[in-house]
Amino acid sequence: MNAYDYWSIFQGSFATVGVSLTGILVGLPLGLGLALLRWARIPVSRQIAYLYVSIIRSCPAVTLVMLIYFGAPQLGVSLSPLVAAMITMAVTASAFSCEIWRSALLSFDRQQYDAALAFGMPRFTRVWRIVLPQVWRSSLPGLINETTMLVKSSPAIAVIGMVEITRAAQRVGARTYDPLPPLMVGLVLYVVIIFALVRLQGRLERSGKNPEPAI
Amino acid sequence: MSLDNFILVWQQYPEILEAFGNTLMLIGIAGSVSMLLGIFLTPLLMSRRKAVSLSVTVYCESMRCMPFLLFVYMIYFGLPSAGIQLSNWTTGVVALILYNAAYMAIFLKGAWKDIPTETIEAGRAYGFHGLKLFRRVIMPLMLMRATPMIGNQWVQIVKDSAFLGIIAVTELTAAMNAIQATYFIPFASFLSAVLLYWLISLVIEFFTTLFTRYAEVRRT
Amino acid sequence: MNVMENSQPTSTDNATKRVLQLQGISKAFADNQVLKDVSLDVNRGEVLCLIGASGCGKSTLLRCINWLETPDSGHVILNGQRFGVHKSGVKMRDGDLASMRSRVGMVFQHFALWPHLSVIDNIMASPVHVQCRDKQQVREEAVALLEKVGLADKAGMFPSSLSGGQKQRVGIARALAMKPELLLFDEPTSALDPMLVGEVLGVIRDLADEGATMVIVTHEMEFARQVANQVIFMSEGRIAESGAPDDFFGAPKTDKAQQFLARFHQHLESRSTAAPESSIS
Repeated sequence: MNAYDYWSIFQGSFATVGVSLTGILVGLPLGLGLALLRWARIPVSRQIAYLYVSIIRSCPAVTLVMLIYFGAPQLGVSLSPLVAAMITMAVTASAFSCEIWRSALLSFDRQQYDAALAFGMPRFTRVWRIVLPQVWRSSLPGLINETTMLVKSSPAIAVIGMVEITRAAQRVGARTYDPLPPLMVGLVLYVVIIFALVRLQGRLERSGKNPEPAI
Repeated sequence: MSLDNFILVWQQYPEILEAFGNTLMLIGIAGSVSMLLGIFLTPLLMSRRKAVSLSVTVYCESMRCMPFLLFVYMIYFGLPSAGIQLSNWTTGVVALILYNAAYMAIFLKGAWKDIPTETIEAGRAYGFHGLKLFRRVIMPLMLMRATPMIGNQWVQIVKDSAFLGIIAVTELTAAMNAIQATYFIPFASFLSAVLLYWLISLVIEFFTTLFTRYAEVRRT
Repeated sequence: MNVMENSQPTSTDNATKRVLQLQGISKAFADNQVLKDVSLDVNRGEVLCLIGASGCGKSTLLRCINWLETPDSGHVILNGQRFGVHKSGVKMRDGDLASMRSRVGMVFQHFALWPHLSVIDNIMASPVHVQCRDKQQVREEAVALLEKVGLADKAGMFPSSLSGGQKQRVGIARALAMKPELLLFDEPTSALDPMLVGEVLGVIRDLADEGATMVIVTHEMEFARQVANQVIFMSEGRIAESGAPDDFFGAPKTDKAQQFLARFHQHLESRSTAAPESSIS
C-alpha cells in the first residue's frame, strides 16, 4: 500500500462522517417530533408514526438505501447518490431516535409537567423549557449509541455508488491483491470515529451536569 | 407506482420464495448458533483467569467497533489467505455468527452481573459449583433477564443478512434487486422486500413478548 | 419428624456430640480486621445464638462456617472433618468444598430463593442435582416439608408471588431438604415486616424443639432468650461474653454486654410505647 492508497481510504471517511452527521442532524429532531406526536397522543398521526418507526427499525440499511435511490425516480424525483444516502441515514436516525426520545419522555416525571401547567405556562414553553432539557440529558447515552450504530450501517451506501471507508478499503485491496491491510486501515478509522463519539458523550454529559438556570 | 408493478413483482414468486427461504435459513442458523456461542463466551468473559477474560474481551470489543460489512470482507478475503476455502454462503453464516455472538456475550455478561449476589451465593451454599451452578442457577436467570436484548439482536441479524448480498449470497434484497433491474419496477420490488423484513421482525417480536411474559413471574 | 437424620459424626473423637468447632478464626477485609481469633463449639441438638451490634462480625463469622468467606487463619471442623482444607493440608477444590457445603443448610437474610424455580423446585433443587438423590423420594419429602412450614398449597407457585415471611419459610424448608448436619441462620427475620416475623420464628422454634443443631445470628433478643442453649455476644470481632441465655440476659458480666442490653431494653420500651408488640407469637 502506498501513500495514495492510505489517502483514498481516508477520503472515504468524509463520506462516512458527512452522511452520518447529516443523518443525525436531520434525523434526531425528526425523531423527537415523532416521539412528541406519540406522547401527546394525537390520533391518526400517532398510529402512522408507530407504523413508520416499526417498519424502518426492522429494515436493513441496504434495502432502504436502494428503495430510496432507485424508487424515487418512479415517484418523479431524481436523487443523486449523496442525497439519497443522506435521506436514508436521516430516515433511519429518525426512527431509532424516536424510540429513545419516547422512553425518556415516558419516564419523565409527570409532576413537573403538572407543576408547569399549574403555573399557567403555555404549551410550547412547557415542552421547550421544562421537558426537553431533562429528556435530552437522559436520552444522551441512547442517542450516542444510536449514532454509533448508524455509522456502522453506513457501508450500505456503497451499493448506490458512494465510496465510504469500507468500499474504499475494499477497492484498494482489489487493486493491490492484498485485501487485509487496507481493511485494517479502515478498521482503525472506524475505531477513531467511534472513540470520538464516546468522548463527545462524556463531554456532553459533564456539561449537562451544570445546567444554566432557565431564566 | 401502480398495483400492476406489485403484481409483476409477486409473479416472480419462485425466485422470491427461494431468496426469502434462504434469508430465513441464514437468520435461523446465525441467530441460534450465535446465541449458543454467546452463552459459551459469557463465562469466559467473567473468568478470573486474566488471559482468558482479556482475550475474549478484545474479541468482543473489536466486533463492537467495526461495521458488519467490514468484518464480512475480513472473513471473505482473510480465510482464503489462511488456506480455508468456504462458499460465499458459509462465509456469510460464519461472519453473522462470529459478529453477533460477541454482542450477545456482552449483554449476557451485563445480565449476569445484574443477578442479585445472594441468589448465586445461595447456589454455592447449597453445593452448586462450576458447570452445575452455571447451568441450573446463572444461565436461566441470565437468559430471562436478557430476553428483550436477545430479541433485539435477532432483529439486528435480520438486517445484517442484507449485507451478504454484496458477497453474492442469495438473499432477499439481492433477489429483489435482480427483479427490479429486469422489469424496471424498483419501488414495488424494494417496498415488498421492506414489508417482508418487517414481517420477520414482527414474528421475532411476538416470540420475544412470549418469552418475556414467561420470564416475568420468574423474576426476583 | 426428625429433621437431622444425617447428624452422624464421622469421627470417633472423645467429643462425638460436637457437631461444629471453630478454632481461632480470623478474617480481615482490606484494612479492617473483622474477626479476631474467634473460637466456639456447638454440640448436637444445641442452638447457638450469635448477637451483637451491627458490624461486630457475627454475620461474617457465620459465613466462615460454610466457607462462603474464607478465614485468613483458623479451622472450621464439621463433625470431625475440616472445612475447606483436606487432612493433608491441601486446599479443597470447588467440588469437595461444594459437597461439604451440602452438609450444611443455610437460611439467608434476604431469602435468596431461586426466582426462576417454583417453590417445590427450589426445595428439590439441591437434593436432586447436588446430592443426586432419587427424585420421587425427594419430592415426597419436599411436600412433607412444605406442610411442616405451613405452605403446602404454594408448591407450584413462584417466589415472586410470595410474601417475605412465606419466602423465608420456603428458605427454611429448602435448608431442611438437604438433611443437613447443621443449620445456619443469617438474621432470618431482619428483612421481614414486623407482622411476618412471628410466623418464621415459630418455625425455627419448632425446629429447636425437635433437636436441630443450629447457629442463629439474630437481633430478636426475646427469641434468642427463649430458644438458645448458648448465647455468644460479639463486639469488634471478638467474643465479648458467652453463656446460657438466662445468665447472659439476666446478669450480663461484661460492660459491653451490659451497655448493649441496656440499649436494647431502651429500644424495646420506645417501640412498645409507639406500637403494639407483634414480633413474638
